[in-house]
Amino acid sequence: MGMFGKVALAAVGLCALFSGTVLAGEKVVIKDVTGRDVEVSVPVEHVILGEGRQIYFVAALDRDAPFKRVVGWRDDLSKADPESYAAYLAKYPEIAKLPTFGGMKDGTFDIEQAVSLKPDVVIMNLDAKTATEEAGYIEKLGKVGIPLVYIDFREKPMENTEASMRVMGKLLGEEAKAEDFIKFRADSIAKVTDVLAKQNPARPVVFVERAGGYSDDCCMSFGNENFGKMVEIAGGTNMAKDIIPGTFGTVNPEQIIASNPDQIIITGGNWQGYVPGGNWVGVGYGADLTEAHRKLENLTKRPALTGVKAVADGNVHAIWHQFYNNPYQFVAIQEIAKWLHPDLFTDLDPEATFKELHARFLPLDYKPGYFVSVKDE
Amino acid sequence: MAIATEPLETTTGRDQYRALALRRIVLICAMLVALCFSISIDMALGPANYTLREVLTSLFYAESVGDQLRVVIWDIRMPIALMAVTVGASLSLAGAQMQTILANPLASPFTLGISAAAGFGAALGLIGGVAIFPAAVQYMIPINAFLMAMAAALFIHFASTMRGVTVETIVLLGIALVFTFNALLSLLEYLASEQALAAVVFWTMGSLTKATWPKVWITGAVLLFAIPLFARHAWALTALRLGEDKAASLGINVRRLRLHTMMTVSLLAAIPVSFVGTIGFVGLVGPHIARMLVGEDQRFFLPASVLCGALLLSATSVVSKTLIPGAILPIGVITALVGVPFFFVLIFTNRRRAW
Repeated sequence: MGMFGKVALAAVGLCALFSGTVLAGEKVVIKDVTGRDVEVSVPVEHVILGEGRQIYFVAALDRDAPFKRVVGWRDDLSKADPESYAAYLAKYPEIAKLPTFGGMKDGTFDIEQAVSLKPDVVIMNLDAKTATEEAGYIEKLGKVGIPLVYIDFREKPMENTEASMRVMGKLLGEEAKAEDFIKFRADSIAKVTDVLAKQNPARPVVFVERAGGYSDDCCMSFGNENFGKMVEIAGGTNMAKDIIPGTFGTVNPEQIIASNPDQIIITGGNWQGYVPGGNWVGVGYGADLTEAHRKLENLTKRPALTGVKAVADGNVHAIWHQFYNNPYQFVAIQEIAKWLHPDLFTDLDPEATFKELHARFLPLDYKPGYFVSVKDE
Repeated sequence: MAIATEPLETTTGRDQYRALALRRIVLICAMLVALCFSISIDMALGPANYTLREVLTSLFYAESVGDQLRVVIWDIRMPIALMAVTVGASLSLAGAQMQTILANPLASPFTLGISAAAGFGAALGLIGGVAIFPAAVQYMIPINAFLMAMAAALFIHFASTMRGVTVETIVLLGIALVFTFNALLSLLEYLASEQALAAVVFWTMGSLTKATWPKVWITGAVLLFAIPLFARHAWALTALRLGEDKAASLGINVRRLRLHTMMTVSLLAAIPVSFVGTIGFVGLVGPHIARMLVGEDQRFFLPASVLCGALLLSATSVVSKTLIPGAILPIGVITALVGVPFFFVLIFTNRRRAW
């Protein structure tokens, strides 16, 4: 017994000694979204963002200077979300000089470059897991003492966003802020789900068109994940849920006439760089909503939408495409719920939610332009 | 004895020839019937579940039916059904004549890099927003694809006219083109945004959902222009299969025949690919199936190739929309899955040397 006491005392003493010497970083074990236990000294001072869009999280935690700890990042933000990138670039011009890693999906990066940037941690997205493991990055980085953690706000956003935010909070030593954000997000979603659970309204059939007008092809849509899932959470029935086996696919244009959806939601974004003058609806950060409205109306004239109930009732809407891989997607869920059940959510103001998100958590000023409906104006 | 049997042999020879020709004509007619059947099924089936009566009424008395029915039949089902026919026919015919003039069983719009070039052209537009021909930005993707495909075809052609270049070299050049354009395409994909990447991947899988009436007319017109042109040279093209020297000794201007054929083939291959994306299988295998069924004689081989390609893609169109009701699977993927089993059967049951 005494023996145990002595060992325990020694251990406590050792710990005290340890925490005393390592002032900057306290070694903690973090469980990432894959369930791995990773030892990291926190708070970290230098991070590599394995995906540029992880700045959505970092910005909510390091609000005053979101890039102060970022020593390198993947170059996907400028490609996937050019409006946000432009807004960040305008406010923090130094990000143009940040070392970048190329490549979109494969999750590869130059390990030599990564090591030379001396990060305290490398944060990877769950989608890059296979590539990361195949290349043995975890072991290679481990040899030079750089830990790697996985987060996820895209593969399973509903399950993993909270856990990811907690991991980020621990890493950056901003756990209170992370909890604030998690609570704000949960409350915002509850405003939709609580009402739906109580009222249990009829679920309208919703056709979600992925990137409508981007090409001549009609009718790319979503299966059970992504926007398909967001529609279900917002109290609708995703038209393509039994048609598209995976997440993405194309429905037969005729199917829309056959299913006769009550609501149509078309995802859009500013794709001027890819399809100049195309028929896409350019919603997004600070978008021109008059123009977006005109283009949305134009899309309702396609053969596949002939005589469909949603068009006749004016229930055709456009939503910012990038909500699908964005921790701010609870705002989209609120907006979709309001579109699907206008009577139930008269008091809900998604615009105000988004404004509050910016005011409380984000370094950027809010600019509207993410949503437009044929009924507007 | 020998004298006595000779007339008998000539008569059996003539009879045999007649029987053979008749067999081939019957086969071609059978393909035509099958094609009509396949088009009818393509027109009759769809998730909107209209009855045959409704479909027929809409076909013949379009004004008397409701908006939705008319749109489904005339603007959704019919362009796709007809596009499958024109595209399949064009690609197969292009492949057939490439194989003929290059004397190589592996020649096709796909293996000679024309499809890969078109894919790269489309990707330039989809990823970089680059219009090779800036005057018509709204048709950027098909125009880009077409120009790149023509450039590849003309490169192959001019290389083939150079001194000392053999048909084997040309096929090697084609393969080099495939790899070059695929590498360039991958490079673009590496640089692309997710949205553009998805669009490119989908484009390169080929899809008939992009079909519209103007596209049907254009591909149909090119086909109607090409068929009589080839038909006029049917004997010369058949003779070319005996070998370049033999054809030349029969009085055929081989160089000119190659030039004219290659130009027409380029159009035939480039236009469909620029409209519907990469559909690889038809251009290579359509002609082989035709050859196994009716042989090398262009009088039969030409229509058989056209019908084979059309039938293959039309059947694929039916399968691609019925496999998962309501969804449309990428046609480039389904074409091979539909065609390969049939092709295997032909290869293993056909004891004659097909090439």
